[in-house]
Amino acid sequence: MLRYVIRRILYAVPILIGVSLLTFLLFYCTVSPEGMARRNLSAKNPTPQQIQGWLHEHGYDKPRSEQFKKHMRELFLLRFGNSDASGEPIWDRLRVGIGPSFLVGSLIFLAALLTDISLSLYVAYYRGTYLDYWATFLGVLFMSINYVVYMIGGQWIVSKLLRLAPLAGYESGPTALKFVFVPMIIGVLAGIGSTVRFYRTVILEEINQDYVRTARAKGVGEQQVLFRHVLKNAAIPILTSTVTSIPLLLLGGLLTESFFNIPGVGSMTFDAIQSQDFAVIRAMVFLGTILYIIGLTLTDISYAIADPRVRLE
Amino acid sequence: MRISGRPFWVAISLLGTLLFSGCGNNPYPAGQAGKAVLFRAMSDDPRTLDPSISYMSGPESATVDSIYPSYFHYHFLKQEPFTIEPMLGAKMPERRAYIVKSAGKTINGEEWIFKIRDDIRFQDDACFPDGKGRNVVAADFIYAFRRMADPKVPCPVLSFFEDKIVGFDKYIAANRALDEKKQAADYSAPVEGLYLDPKDPLVFHIRLKQPYPQLKYLMAMHFTTPIAHEAAEKYGKELARHPVGCGPYVLSEWTPKKRIVLTKNPHYYRDLFPSEGDKGDREAGLLEDAGKQLPLNDEIIYSTVREGTTAWNMFLQGYLDSYGVTQENFSQVVSKAGNITPEMKSKGITMRKVVTPGVNYLAFNMSDPVVGGYTEQKRKLRQAISLSIDAQAFIDLFSQGQGRTAESIVPPGLFGYEKNYKNPYRRYEPQLKKAKQLLKEAGYPDGRDAKSGEKLTLFFDTRTVTAAGRQYSALLVKQLRQLGIEVQTRAWRPNVWEERVNQGKFQIIEFGWLADYPDPENFVFLLYGPNKRPGPNCTAYQRPEYDKLFEKMRAMEDSPERLKIIEQMRDMEVEDCPLVFMEHSEDLALNYDWIRNVKPHAIANDVSKYRRVDGATRESSEARWNKPIYWPILVFAGFVVVGSIPAVGTVKQRRTRRLRRDSSPSAELKS
Repeated sequence: MLRYVIRRILYAVPILIGVSLLTFLLFYCTVSPEGMARRNLSAKNPTPQQIQGWLHEHGYDKPRSEQFKKHMRELFLLRFGNSDASGEPIWDRLRVGIGPSFLVGSLIFLAALLTDISLSLYVAYYRGTYLDYWATFLGVLFMSINYVVYMIGGQWIVSKLLRLAPLAGYESGPTALKFVFVPMIIGVLAGIGSTVRFYRTVILEEINQDYVRTARAKGVGEQQVLFRHVLKNAAIPILTSTVTSIPLLLLGGLLTESFFNIPGVGSMTFDAIQSQDFAVIRAMVFLGTILYIIGLTLTDISYAIADPRVRLE
Repeated sequence: MRISGRPFWVAISLLGTLLFSGCGNNPYPAGQAGKAVLFRAMSDDPRTLDPSISYMSGPESATVDSIYPSYFHYHFLKQEPFTIEPMLGAKMPERRAYIVKSAGKTINGEEWIFKIRDDIRFQDDACFPDGKGRNVVAADFIYAFRRMADPKVPCPVLSFFEDKIVGFDKYIAANRALDEKKQAADYSAPVEGLYLDPKDPLVFHIRLKQPYPQLKYLMAMHFTTPIAHEAAEKYGKELARHPVGCGPYVLSEWTPKKRIVLTKNPHYYRDLFPSEGDKGDREAGLLEDAGKQLPLNDEIIYSTVREGTTAWNMFLQGYLDSYGVTQENFSQVVSKAGNITPEMKSKGITMRKVVTPGVNYLAFNMSDPVVGGYTEQKRKLRQAISLSIDAQAFIDLFSQGQGRTAESIVPPGLFGYEKNYKNPYRRYEPQLKKAKQLLKEAGYPDGRDAKSGEKLTLFFDTRTVTAAGRQYSALLVKQLRQLGIEVQTRAWRPNVWEERVNQGKFQIIEFGWLADYPDPENFVFLLYGPNKRPGPNCTAYQRPEYDKLFEKMRAMEDSPERLKIIEQMRDMEVEDCPLVFMEHSEDLALNYDWIRNVKPHAIANDVSKYRRVDGATRESSEARWNKPIYWPILVFAGFVVVGSIPAVGTVKQRRTRRLRRDSSPSAELKS
């Protein structure tokens, strides 16, 4: 397995180079450094000297090839530097933002996983009944709704009509739960349709297997059949779709964090995109790529753990 | 893994208890509503809190000005006209003639002598010995000027001082040369115009190349606040996030994208609530706190709330003390008669109008071969276009009727604004008789080139890519089409738009200017030749007569003579028509009545210190309006449980059937 992991790490290098190159090229296709300088200088009419000064300070006055070399070198050494917009060290912002992002992300992830699996088992258990049909109908309905509608609607119902949670904001410590409540419900609801449909199919496939009939024949109760036997065997496809996203929890949700004013990494990235803060964007794209690769590798490893037939070589 | 059964339900109950125990929509810790705290929202973090750099209005300038006071400030209550008075200054500065000898020429300059108060001290901070703030001296004011001239500090108003203070331009150039050699700026080099009194550490002199009465306004801006060199040296660029001032508040928390907290400065000097105001202020209860030490509140919390709807709902729940009237909430707030709606009034919300000292206009590119130029024909073309644009329609559609149609460049409230003046080329009439006549005289009868017969097509370059921006362009296209002129809209991203404007690649654009200080100079300079783009003169309008008049009025105190010059300049700009004046904006501000001493100020940013909070009223109102409602959740849960019961029966039957089938001999045979 170790050899496999090392190979995956080596594969990651060209992927990272490719992604960073693409980020660099796309940035220069869409944004001019002078425009960035103008945007980030606070003056109504910055003077040419001030613009030149800003470009020099941020290294955008150097030849493109030199900029690219520096861009790659700094990224691979994880020296992200300072934000172009605020001048703040990016690592400092990451340190502050990762906590809220991870908390919100992991709570949504866990709540969604728990709900989705429980609901799929519930629906599979009551397959063929009106509950199953209703679940199908609601599943398709929930899949059809845009995420932004969930956010606006969720905030309106829970925070404005029922007054159960704050409209937006964040506090650390146990109070965080109060602020995470609405994003968590929305995160669960937004993904519930497609996931439950998928898990239900996987579980039903398992339910019709021989070993289930054997268990039933031996007199094992339906709940035990579902939780002890079916769930374990349905784990591989479930792992595929979940483990990949675990490392990405650190990066937070762009829309959720931004809408609910959660001061995490997601809202930082969202702002960076809006303010064309290239220093932050390239750092986040690079980190995102690394975490995604880690996620994929973890998925492979989890296969080997969950299914003794899988060997990583 | 067994997740059904007792542990599962225990976990669910625990989670439920945790979530619902602190239930409620209050985003602040319990009990805070009753305290002397101001709750406000900001849509994003300030870019910087560095007083030499910050130039954004709103929460950023309110924060900076609350930490960094200046020599002067605007009187909170005396606003008709805006009145300036010493803040850190012990008295009004003395002014005397100063003869400047430069390159064999003698120039009649002016010297201002500033004396500061002796009881001001910087806030406590780690940059000072033992963390104790020291007294502010005149040298701290001079240091602020020197810092502005440091190329590493992009001061947006450097040009205001560069050509006015004796020797400052040379000092700036020397620092730029050092910067090119990658050396630090020299903070000790002598500057003739910035002079410290060797006998009195509380006195400094500023020597100007020519009399410049507007210096008093510049000395009321945070750019000229005293800066402790200890702080600038210790924090460097980080001064943007670590302010060290001597104002009524200190920054006690700044969590990016979350909030900014300002708390009362315990070492704030003796600064009392004013005992005089404008007519009607006493009757309005605005002088009840006269003579009290400021600030009247202990804390200001700016929470980051990005979405306008969220902020508006937070305001309605009582969790924000003030908010503005926007396009989204207008119908909810303002009745058809233009007053506040009964619903808002019953919540104790008051509405006040703030006339913003600014002007919005459409600008022609004066170097463009079609719309630019100074010939009679070109002038008439611009005049015809100006006559065909109905500014009131724009105000009605995009500002809900809030705003005044602009007749000239100087906005209301400023010296030089004449209420009864009517611009002859802004008299819109639906038949457009005069406009069509002028268009014909310009060589475009019915919007077609008299020589080639081609339709006149113009380009309108916009940076607003939102729906409102498209509607704005559509209305402009529609209005000019009535004149027979075709307008094509080109929408650009803001930075591209700015680049194109600076390079003169446009015909017509929309532009606006907001006062930096309440003097007409800050507006008429928008057409001053040397200010041509990339400076604020985006049209590149250049008339030597106008420039001469500008240079003359700039050096004058407000007087009938100055007014006459401003009128002459106005007549010139109206006849040449480089701008189509559209609107002087008006904003509506909403406040709960538990905040006292509210009188909006269109220029001053340091008004938070005057606000007094009636915490008890706020606390009881918030509690009354925000009682959590649980029953829909219980009904929903009940519905799910009851709705599942028949299915349980169905599955039980199915299982019984299957068990029977599985145990029958035929089933065994089949399998």
